[in-house]
Amino acid sequence: MYPESMQESIRKVEASRARRIELALSGKPVVEPMSAEQRQDVLDRFHPDYQDDARREVRWGPNAGQRLTTEVADLLETYARVDPSDYDLLEPDFDTDVLVIGAGSAGFCAALLAQEHGARVTLATKLRLGDANSMMAQGGIQAAVRDDDSPVHHYLDVVGGGHFDNRPELARALVSEAPDAIAWLRRKGVMFDQEDDGSLKAKPGGGTCRPRMLSARDYTGAAICRTLRDEIQNRPEIRVLEHSSAIELIKDARGRVAGAVLYHLLTREHFTIRARATVMATGGFGRLHVKGFETTNHYGATADGLVMAYRAGARLLYMDSVQYHPTGAVFPPQILGFLCTEKLRGMGGQPVNADGELFVYPLEPRDVEAASFIREATELGHGVSTPSGHVGIWLDTPVIEKLNGAGAIEKNLPAMLRQFQRFGVDIRSEPILVYPTLHYQNGGIEIDVECRSTVEGLYAAGEVAGGIHGRNRLMGNSQLDLIVFGRRAGRYAAAFAGTAEPAELSLGHVLEANRRVGELGVDRDRISPLVLPDYVPERVKRRQHDTRYRGTLI
Amino acid sequence: MSLLYFPGCTLKNKARNFDASTLEVFSALGVELAELERWNCCGTVFSMADDDLMLQLAPLRNLLRAEQQGGGELLVPCSMCYNTLRRAQRFAAADPERLGRIRDFMYDEPSAYRGDVEVRHPLAYLRDRVGLERVKQAVERPLGGLRLGAYYGCLLLRPSELAVDDPARPRVMEDLIAALGAEPVEFGQRAECCGAYQTLSWRAVTLRRTYEILGSACAAGARALLTSCPLCAYNLDQMQREAVKSYPDLCAMPVLYFTELMVIAMGLGWKPEWSALHEVDPQPVLDAAGA
Amino acid sequence: MATEDKLVTIHVMGEAFRVPEGSTIMTALEYAGFQLTTGVGCREGFCGACGTLYREAGDYKIKGGLACQTVVTDGMHLAQIPFVPAAKPVYDIEALSPDEEAIKRIYPEVFRCVACSTCTKICPQDIQVMDYVQCLMRGDIAQAANISFDCLRCGLCGLRCPAEIVQYNAATLARRLYGRYLARPSERLERRVEAIARGDYDAQLDELQGLDADALKKRYYDREIKTK
Repeated sequence: MYPESMQESIRKVEASRARRIELALSGKPVVEPMSAEQRQDVLDRFHPDYQDDARREVRWGPNAGQRLTTEVADLLETYARVDPSDYDLLEPDFDTDVLVIGAGSAGFCAALLAQEHGARVTLATKLRLGDANSMMAQGGIQAAVRDDDSPVHHYLDVVGGGHFDNRPELARALVSEAPDAIAWLRRKGVMFDQEDDGSLKAKPGGGTCRPRMLSARDYTGAAICRTLRDEIQNRPEIRVLEHSSAIELIKDARGRVAGAVLYHLLTREHFTIRARATVMATGGFGRLHVKGFETTNHYGATADGLVMAYRAGARLLYMDSVQYHPTGAVFPPQILGFLCTEKLRGMGGQPVNADGELFVYPLEPRDVEAASFIREATELGHGVSTPSGHVGIWLDTPVIEKLNGAGAIEKNLPAMLRQFQRFGVDIRSEPILVYPTLHYQNGGIEIDVECRSTVEGLYAAGEVAGGIHGRNRLMGNSQLDLIVFGRRAGRYAAAFAGTAEPAELSLGHVLEANRRVGELGVDRDRISPLVLPDYVPERVKRRQHDTRYRGTLI
Repeated sequence: MSLLYFPGCTLKNKARNFDASTLEVFSALGVELAELERWNCCGTVFSMADDDLMLQLAPLRNLLRAEQQGGGELLVPCSMCYNTLRRAQRFAAADPERLGRIRDFMYDEPSAYRGDVEVRHPLAYLRDRVGLERVKQAVERPLGGLRLGAYYGCLLLRPSELAVDDPARPRVMEDLIAALGAEPVEFGQRAECCGAYQTLSWRAVTLRRTYEILGSACAAGARALLTSCPLCAYNLDQMQREAVKSYPDLCAMPVLYFTELMVIAMGLGWKPEWSALHEVDPQPVLDAAGA
Repeated sequence: MATEDKLVTIHVMGEAFRVPEGSTIMTALEYAGFQLTTGVGCREGFCGACGTLYREAGDYKIKGGLACQTVVTDGMHLAQIPFVPAAKPVYDIEALSPDEEAIKRIYPEVFRCVACSTCTKICPQDIQVMDYVQCLMRGDIAQAANISFDCLRCGLCGLRCPAEIVQYNAATLARRLYGRYLARPSERLERRVEAIARGDYDAQLDELQGLDADALKKRYYDREIKTK
């Protein structure tokens, strides 16, 4: 299926394969992992975050004066989508104890736990239940369950991978609750891969010092998320509002977050909901296409929660840090930017250059691995070009079959096999071409161990929250974070809701935010939350005379 | 030797003892049963209406699977499955035009059904292929003249084209009983309907059938019944507890699959968990064999 | 993405649009000017939101695909199926047993299967849908869970089924039953959960949290890495 222009390089990959397999079988790393200095050097020179235009100062709000990712700063300096005068806040359309915004795994966990702790729960989501990045996670979820592993090892990996910027108490909660989170998921009926003796299969991941990646084939996120969704649907007392995108938080006279404005995507109605506590679980920002990168993210990953929380006064943390997944697909063009799970490398898949040579330890933390790929393909000129003009390096997947036995890919990586097979590439016998792709929001809404933001009444969990992973998350810790902090958010939000006295609702903070943005001279057609990215081509847009805004839902 | 084997759904749950005992018995007689891969429900209930081609898909797909896995004889112990699959076999042979239409619908299958499968019931297979003499030689614990009734019900004998024996005077199960060292007892209702699915919709009918069939066997002197049908077993065994409330003079007796009896007589080791699948304790039968 | 120099014609709910050859149905719809709010989700083949029925030119067969994973062909007719009407029954997973009785109780229509395999034919994931339905009928929950594992719940099977079964719902139940009741216990996991609850790691974690930046860095870079 690969065009002739790429075949010569493939032959080089094939030629070096036997030697590389031998190296892998030796049990030692196939390439020496980098030292602290080497890591810093490759990040400084090649990671997109470290380029001059990657960050700029945000000019208003809780993080004013800090340098944030440029696209994030741009988004925070936009006008609100709502006009506060449109709503009668004395008569909200819905009333609830705990409002959970976002129906991925973190939102599901929060809703389940809040309900178990006695709260009336409303779960509002932009699209459908489970329409989330959670569903798309492939490779695994970390939990220290092996005898030679421990939460202590896990902790060290988390903070080292995060460049020691993690909030220690959050990292500690993450690793300490990991085994219990897995046990809880198993009781809910999630099927994890197991060895014959019943122990959970654990594979190494980027930046882990022990094999710690538990998996459900390469549908790990789906296996978890769909189980939690089913459980949500088994509890009719949890009110679910689908196609109901939160487009602004509502506050109250005491300055607490006290609900939200929801926009129904199909009927275009706006609804107000009063809540005694609100959990933001809206996920990440891949659809901002930072620095023009393709993304692995869900259609709805437009940073809505971030901007709503910011307007409500919540401080953000580490929003200067973007995760590029080292292995986004480059060929065939139909799947450009799609995720190629890290489990491919966890099972022995090797990144090699156009000459078929190894050039980096396959399991460095993601930022280091991604920067190394960029260096190899750009500065060193060892990349492989596709007919459509993209460049990548090889991930030699046939090695996986050799190292794990024939049939290993079909059994453990069916999603990857199917993804490429659909477009004519058999990863069992052919390498795949990859390049870093926009994957994850390392930072987010600043939280404490009870998932409280810096604004009373507002909780956050999942990708939208920041601090757990420092400035670089390791593989498998996002799925873990969703469960650990999703459950915490639900529990603590329910407890808070039980004590919160209602006060008069207000959207005054939105007027204030608009005023501040207006002072910056921002164009009036820049609004947020984006709700959905705008992929309507210019050719069509020129004829859509009712289109008012840029880069967002019409 | 190896023989393709179709267990059917019920043998995988409520009649696990029928499945396990069949496998044991045949293995002991030198026939390794190879469970058909990717088999589906035989198609029973629906397939009676053979003017609806859709309802022939299930049995014919099973025959196709058997053909894809080597063809030849397919052993089917459950009377219901046997009846359904055997009918489908005849349908395919008798009506090539309609078979063609079904084949066309099954375009996703790697091959089309040619008609190369012979559906066999274990009773007929034991008689015709293994030989009851050989069964007799394999008996380790003869049943000491225990008086047993063979209950054929409907599906082994009707319609007559697919009967495992002479539908008017069947004797294959009686001959098997004799070969195992027990005494066969012929009784009037041995080929009458057990009430079948009326259990679900018109329970009184089945309760009455249970009472009458057991009464008929009892009057002839039988101490236990043999069957090859999980539905008959359900109606005759599991329903006894309920039937006795309507018919206090009901003659209670254990009901066993014929393969269970063979396991006992051949000394293959009765599994305690099989007893739990019986409503009426089969212990008297085990006792007769000194097991 | 796909080059725009060659266009093909596709019929979206009957209406013809010219779209780039080689594009997926989803990107073709966007090229044509649709801003999708239903029938779209992860855009990467994992969420099942973009189930689409289509026929290709000159072929009577109706096919199922995910819009984000299916390349357009000239003359294709298609309709997106964002949702298949089916309520999800409410049940308590703790009150069920992992056998055919649970299926009978929650999804009795499963037993209407006539083995026509229409579900298997339409599945965009190439799952042997009929086979797992058959496993459910006989109570083989483990095998049903295994076969159905890669299901994305796009719903096309349930739409096409002449017996009106909602296969993907029943499969979800099977997988949960397997995970809850049939999966082997993991003693290592249980031991670790207990050890953490006992506080076995608290002292070491306290120590790590108390280290200054340089000491923590040294500890990190000096740690032994095991990949097996």
